[in-house]
Amino acid sequence: MPDSLSLLVSVLVFPGGFFALGLGLLIKGVDRRVAARLQRRVGPPLLQPVFDLIKLSRKETMIPAQASGAIFRWVPLVGLSAMVLASAMIPIGGVYSPSPELGDLLVLFYLLAVPAVVLMLAGSASGSPFGAIGFSREMAIMLAYEGPVLLALLSVAIRVGLGEGHLISLSLTEIVRYQQLHGAFLLDPWMWPAVLSFLCFFPANLGVLPFDIPEAETEVLEGPLLEYSGPSLGLFKMMSAVKAVVVLGLGVALFCPNGPDGVLGLALFVVKCTVLAVLGVTVVRTGMGRMRIDQAFYFFLKWPAALGIASLVIVLVRL
Amino acid sequence: MNAIKPSLASRLSTKSPWLYRINAGSCNGCDVELATTAIIPRYDVERLGCQYCGSPKHADIVLITGPLTARVKDKVLRLFDEIPEPKVTVAVGVCPISGGVFRESYAIAGPLDKYIPIDVNIPGCPPRPQAIIEGIAKAIAVWQSRI
Repeated sequence: MPDSLSLLVSVLVFPGGFFALGLGLLIKGVDRRVAARLQRRVGPPLLQPVFDLIKLSRKETMIPAQASGAIFRWVPLVGLSAMVLASAMIPIGGVYSPSPELGDLLVLFYLLAVPAVVLMLAGSASGSPFGAIGFSREMAIMLAYEGPVLLALLSVAIRVGLGEGHLISLSLTEIVRYQQLHGAFLLDPWMWPAVLSFLCFFPANLGVLPFDIPEAETEVLEGPLLEYSGPSLGLFKMMSAVKAVVVLGLGVALFCPNGPDGVLGLALFVVKCTVLAVLGVTVVRTGMGRMRIDQAFYFFLKWPAALGIASLVIVLVRL
Repeated sequence: MNAIKPSLASRLSTKSPWLYRINAGSCNGCDVELATTAIIPRYDVERLGCQYCGSPKHADIVLITGPLTARVKDKVLRLFDEIPEPKVTVAVGVCPISGGVFRESYAIAGPLDKYIPIDVNIPGCPPRPQAIIEGIAKAIAVWQSRI
């Protein structure tokens, strides 16, 4: 029975909070560096996201006259705290398994929707027309990607549930334990449709090319973030860094969580997250242009949805 | 803040200057040089931590090109006010200094430093990429005394 102190530590220090923030900033730094190398540039130092945060904390915060002040000011904090809570719910194979008090896969799935809602609120509260465009685009793309990724999550949950003898398993700890006994799902070709469908979800949820449509700098000038400056913009950067860890960590937990105990397991988790970020985000974003919002909408309702349904059928038929 | 030896946080902050471009009626020559300087791999300014940002609210170093025509004057001044402190202004090209080939035209409201405090001038028509990078480096040094 975990006491509230250890819960607090797991949310604020490890593996949530500071650890997740540090890892997220490191992954962002690696991402920018690798992207620069792929374009034959030198690229920024690895700690560049940290420098950005320090810089932002020393800038002036401007609140536009037409913004609705309280929402504009507090909404980034809501997003960051939701992500910090979610980061404590990600199991690390062999090192950490979240206590059941924190919630299961469904709670995590709902928490993952919070940053998108926060961006929508921020965009509409800023009173800027670009923010409003970003708001409507964020909503459209979120509606498109939530369904397919739910199918992918369900097929993993049902596969584990049927293997364990009940219908569905929504506990990430159980999913990790099942894979440590029976091998990672990444090595099982029958699970590859779910993997692919989840891979499509990465760039959309993290807001990078080809799905950075709500924040497109060249079209809507970073949309919802347009009016944010200084420390409150820094809160958004921190939110997106922790979100990267949550989404990547969820991918690792769902498909290849196997790892040794102790420090080695932790190092392996960091390496897996980084490799997944480079392959799933950096290479994709340097290699592609931006889609239009209607193209992205149809893309998600076509391919990831089809893959998700296929994987659900495979899981139900084979077991 | 100590002017001689800046604090650690201030030194780390200057590793992340975000650039914002304002075109104050430029002929686009300097703008092409700016875009070239940042975007092509050869003169990668991201290694200095620079990043072009789409919003004036995110900017640290403002690069202004063009002679400040009468038509864009109010918009440029309004944009300049939208940029949060501490900021550094860099005038790119000869036009913001004197009007360049457009000097003494009825359509020109410049020179720019009548309205906006300029920290660094990068003369040239257009300036070479190396000169622009040097100007940005000087702007970072100015910025360090403010942040």
